[in-house]
Amino acid sequence: MTAVTAQRPRQPSRFMAIISKAREANIVVLSVISLLIAGAFGAVLIILTTPSLLTSWESFFSHPGATIASSAKLVWWAYESLFQGAVVSFHDLSTWIGNPTKANLATVLGPLSSTLTYASPLIVAGLGLSVGFRGSLFDIGGQGQVIAGAGAALIVGFSLHTSPLLQVPLEMVVAMLVGALLAGACGALKAYTGAHEVITTMMSSRIILALLPWFLGLGFIARAGFHDGASKTVNPEGQLPLLLGHISPSLTLNLGFPIAIATVFLVQWFFNRSKTGFRIFMVGQSREAARTAGINIKQVTILTLALAGALLGMAGMLELTGIEQFMSTNFGGSYGIDAIAVALVGRNKPWGVFAAAVFFGMMQQGGQIMEATTGISQSLAIVIQAVVAFCIATPFFVCDIFKLRGGERLAALETSAGWA
Amino acid sequence: MKLELRGITKRFGDLVANNNINLVVEPGQIHCLLGENGAGKSTLMNVLYGLLTPDSGEILINDEPITISDPKDAVAHGIGMVHQHFMLIPVFTAAENVILGSEPVRPWPLLDHRAAKKTVGELSERYGFDVDADAVIEDLPIGAQQRVEILKALSHEAEILVLDEPTAVLTPQETDALIEVLQELKAQGKSIIFISHKLREVLALADVITVIRLGEVVGSTTPAQATTTSLASMMVGRDVNLVVDKAPAKPGEVVLKVDDLFVEDDRGLTTVKGVSLEVRAGEVLAIAGVQGNGQTELIEALTGMRRATSGRVAVGGVDTTKRSVRGILDAGVGHVPEDRQEHGLIPSFSIADNLVLDQIDDPKFAGRFGRKLKAIRENGEHLRTQFDVRSPSVDTPVGSLSGGNQQKVVMARELSRDLKVLICAQPTRGLDVGSIEFMHRQIIENRDRGVAVVVVSSELDEVIALGDRVAVMYDGVIQGIVDPSTSREEFGMMMAGARSEEEMA
Repeated sequence: MTAVTAQRPRQPSRFMAIISKAREANIVVLSVISLLIAGAFGAVLIILTTPSLLTSWESFFSHPGATIASSAKLVWWAYESLFQGAVVSFHDLSTWIGNPTKANLATVLGPLSSTLTYASPLIVAGLGLSVGFRGSLFDIGGQGQVIAGAGAALIVGFSLHTSPLLQVPLEMVVAMLVGALLAGACGALKAYTGAHEVITTMMSSRIILALLPWFLGLGFIARAGFHDGASKTVNPEGQLPLLLGHISPSLTLNLGFPIAIATVFLVQWFFNRSKTGFRIFMVGQSREAARTAGINIKQVTILTLALAGALLGMAGMLELTGIEQFMSTNFGGSYGIDAIAVALVGRNKPWGVFAAAVFFGMMQQGGQIMEATTGISQSLAIVIQAVVAFCIATPFFVCDIFKLRGGERLAALETSAGWA
Repeated sequence: MKLELRGITKRFGDLVANNNINLVVEPGQIHCLLGENGAGKSTLMNVLYGLLTPDSGEILINDEPITISDPKDAVAHGIGMVHQHFMLIPVFTAAENVILGSEPVRPWPLLDHRAAKKTVGELSERYGFDVDADAVIEDLPIGAQQRVEILKALSHEAEILVLDEPTAVLTPQETDALIEVLQELKAQGKSIIFISHKLREVLALADVITVIRLGEVVGSTTPAQATTTSLASMMVGRDVNLVVDKAPAKPGEVVLKVDDLFVEDDRGLTTVKGVSLEVRAGEVLAIAGVQGNGQTELIEALTGMRRATSGRVAVGGVDTTKRSVRGILDAGVGHVPEDRQEHGLIPSFSIADNLVLDQIDDPKFAGRFGRKLKAIRENGEHLRTQFDVRSPSVDTPVGSLSGGNQQKVVMARELSRDLKVLICAQPTRGLDVGSIEFMHRQIIENRDRGVAVVVVSSELDEVIALGDRVAVMYDGVIQGIVDPSTSREEFGMMMAGARSEEEMA
């Protein structure tokens, strides 16, 4: 039996103080560490899946230097092309500086433009999920709301020939309305019958997905001469204008991005300042205390899901009118599911959601370029994305490995995300 | 087994929760730790149980210094803890809960239920506990759940049992039963640390009483040398007034009128059976009675949390029977709910936000551009000072405050509105003497300001101290409304179902 050692406070050195500060877990430290873990994990995968490298490791003991060098070289190349494909290519940048033509500028801006284009609807969809989480409601059926919203916007988009100033807002309003109705109905089911929103939103999404081929086959929706389930195209008046079109029409960045940023600000305000946002948070944190304080729980439950659905519908509209311009049976990819990960990685903070969506966009775009240049499958980017999401969603895991303090606090944030 | 804590100091930031605390518990001794909420009793026990690491100091068992870095160590050293909030799994049986964490498995990996039941049965018998090993926890009354919790500690061969505010959740009868159990354990040589702020039971139970105030030991005494008054002034550092100092009420017109109210509980049983009441401005109507006689449902019906099946409630002449909670709050009803953690507060929210929880729409706190965060903060600062809520700042989450300070937040919020009626359910449950005194003074001040006050309490002392008139409720019926000077025997009989003599006459 030993004595409880009296822990006298030692005078910490300056260096130790910095280390100690860095070990205080916060979201920045956590994100950096998550990226490093994901990077290391990805590196191992690259080596394991590249036969020539694996062969070189067999002779590791005779040429250790060369083995490590060749592996490091390929890993570096992969990550370099991933980054350059997602943000900016240094080679193109120097070409443009040497010869500043419009065409070269377009090449420089291309990767970032694609990344942000992809991210825009995802930002809005992630915000939608975070509104639900704020009220401890899990809208797992975002995919259905994305498609339903886009479908409504599509009808407005191809049937009207008005001014973009009228048509784009109109598309947005109908998309949000349809998304809100769909999710709000699930909210009403929860409020009045107690049906769990995870089940109802998931099933409503299933129904929408099942109805999509039928919808696309309707006489007034289907594009003439096509039999593969493609819809008519949104009229030019209903398309989101390109932001960098004057540089090159190949730069796809469109009005959807500023709209997404505006939505971030709006949701930020909604969470921090609005009365309704406060009510939603109250109900999310304690239904009973909210009820005692005179909050109408049913109303707030419906409203929360309706708002989430509105944002997901809007995401569908942004995807349709900013990127695809028509609908097919695989419209929207996996936005509805990715939005869940985005909201969690962004820890329900509007700017966190923004950062997470942009990161997902980077992986998506960078992965394609990486595959094209290095031959390494773009699935690697998905793996990195998933590992980062995993690390950020389980702060205890990371804090434990790296001996960070304050994991409880980060985990507490997680519970306020509302996995009820 | 002898336990000694030597020079324990524990800081949280700038706050010194425990400052150089020394404590010796002899074998077979019941040692009561007495102190206000937030005095540092629970911190000290969490240090002992390995949940917190002390900044300095040491723990000795039988004069041997030991290291306790987590609860497992504590259990291994024979320290057992019964928490205020039970750590039991509601859907498991008593036996299953007791063996949890050290399950007998035979043949591996199957649970040996029979061995488990046998252990529980033997322990139960040895210490004279009345615990059915097969009973599911959620079906058991609170007192029995607590005995299971104690059994669990004993099953790990605890020699020192720490009970954190064990009587806070018990009825008087259950408290008596607990005291008997503890005496039996003592007789068998166990040491007991009993944390409480209830003077009377401490005097009834303790061998030694150690009083802690603001993280420091104020002194030790024995029941023979101490009185409730001397203990109370040791706890709060000044002389306290256990009797509420109040002028006679000057009742005005009837503000709250309840007519032949019937209310059903969640199970659909009628628990309020034709209650009629009138409460006048400037008076306190106290409702006494053993818990579970319809008081909870009555309050819920008055505050809109539950629909009455029939009857009528009027506030200031306005019918509020069918109004929503919001509508009733707006009619000028303040509500201090029975369970502050569950109903009164949102623990994760800041003090400032909790102080405006039911005033979101008030133009003072919200304008066209959303909630006025500055005004909400200022309101928080103001009420925090006025109600002496002890906390680092108004941004502190309410959940981290002690019970007394939490209740002050609830009270401050309700009283900051313009009230006609104030309804307080168990306003001082689990609070220390200083906070109780403070709450009582607030209630009386508001009475004198012309508010009609209803206080529901299962503590007879409180009912007698606060009430200008006392209604006794039994089985959903008001047995009678009597003067607070009525004898305790009379109250006791009414609470057990006898009609009051005044009523009969």
